[in-house]
Amino acid sequence: MKKAPIVFAALIMLGYTASSQTSLPEIDKSPLDMCYYPSEYPQLKTQAKSIEPAVARVIYSRPKKEGRPVFGNLVEYGKLWRLGANEATEIEFFKPVVIGQKKIAKGRYTLYAIVNEKSWTFILNKDVDIWGSFKYKQANDVVRVEVPVQTMKDQVESLAMTFDKSPSGINLMVAWENVKTELPITL
Amino acid sequence: MKTLQHLLFFLTMLISFHCKEERKEEAAEKKPVSSDTISNLVPEVPGGNSYAQVDISPMDMSYFPVDYPKIKMANSAAPPALARVVYSRPHLQRRRLFAGILKYDEPWRLGANESTEIELYKDATIQGKKVKAGRYIMYCIPHQDAWTIIFNNNIDTWGLKQDPAKDVERFRVPATSGNPPLEYFTIVFEKTGMGADLIIGWDDILVKMPMSF
Repeated sequence: MKKAPIVFAALIMLGYTASSQTSLPEIDKSPLDMCYYPSEYPQLKTQAKSIEPAVARVIYSRPKKEGRPVFGNLVEYGKLWRLGANEATEIEFFKPVVIGQKKIAKGRYTLYAIVNEKSWTFILNKDVDIWGSFKYKQANDVVRVEVPVQTMKDQVESLAMTFDKSPSGINLMVAWENVKTELPITL
Repeated sequence: MKTLQHLLFFLTMLISFHCKEERKEEAAEKKPVSSDTISNLVPEVPGGNSYAQVDISPMDMSYFPVDYPKIKMANSAAPPALARVVYSRPHLQRRRLFAGILKYDEPWRLGANESTEIELYKDATIQGKKVKAGRYIMYCIPHQDAWTIIFNNNIDTWGLKQDPAKDVERFRVPATSGNPPLEYFTIVFEKTGMGADLIIGWDDILVKMPMSF
C-alpha cells in the first residue's frame, strides 16, 4: 500500500479527481449559451467590422433531447415552460422594440412559453435574475404573443435560439426536436 | 504485487496520454486556434444542430449573492443581486495550465468565446478603488504569484482584442498553486466579511480578488 500515494498522484495528473471537487461549480448538464442580434455581434465588433449597433441578446440554457420525446412529453402541452433550463431565460433589448404591438422599453426581461401542438405563447416578464419558472407571476408579464408552430424535417438535439432578420425587424427563432417557432420583434 | 501492477498500468496510461497531447499540440500549431480551447470533442450527438452548435467550452454564470436566482425564487422580496459573471469554461483535457495553455505575463481572455463579462448591479470597491455599477469585460495577465485582473469597457466583444484605452481598472491580486485541481475553468463569488471574493480557478491555480459593495 506504500505505492498508494504515487497512484493517487498519477490520478491527479490525469485529471481524474477533477470531478470530485469541493464546492466550486460543476459543468451544467444543460450548458448556458447566448445569442445576439446582429448575429455574431461580438465577433463582428471585435473584428471592427462596420455593423449596426447591438439590438438584443438572449442568455439561455440548452437542455438536450437525449432520445426523449420533447414536446407533449418532456415539455407538457398547455403548461408554462421556462424555455431553457436552470436560470430563467433572459432577453435583453439594447434599444426600445415592439412586440405584439406593445412598446417594450430597453432593458432586461425573462422569457417563457406556453407550448401547444399547433401554437406557442411567448411570455415576456419583468422578474429577472431568477431560477426557472417555478415562481413565475403572471402579474409581472409585459406582453404575451401567440405564434404558430412550424415543423422541421431535421431533429435538433439541443434547444437552440438565434435571431434572424425579418421584413419588419427581427425574429427570435427557437428550435428543438422537430419544432421551430419565431417570436417577431419589430424595430 | 497488485499495487505494482496498478502503478504500471497508470504509468502506461500516463505516457500514452502524453503522446496524445503532443500530437494535439502539433495539430494546434497548424491552425490559429486559441490554446484555451481545443476542438477534439464532439459535444453534439448525431442529429447535430444547424441553428446553433453547442459550444465545446460551455458558458456559465455566477451571481453574488451566491446562487442569487435560487434565493430570488425562494423569496421574491430578496434584495437585488450585487454582481454577476457570465463566462465560458474551457477544460484542461489532460493538459496543464502553464504547460500549453497559458503563459506567464501574457494577457488571457479569462474564458473562451464571448468575452467574459462582469456586471456590477451597484458600485463596488476593489483594493480601495471604486468601480461603478455597470457591465464590463474582464481579462487577466497571469504571473507566477499574482494575476492582474483588468476591467474594460469594450463590452459585447469576442475573445480578447486588447484595447487598453478602454481599460477601467487593473487589480493585481494573489495567485496560489497546489490547490485541488479543477478540470474546468471556474469563476465564482464567495461570501466574505466585507463582501465577496471573486474566485478564479483552473488546474491547481486559485486567484482571489476581494470586493466590497
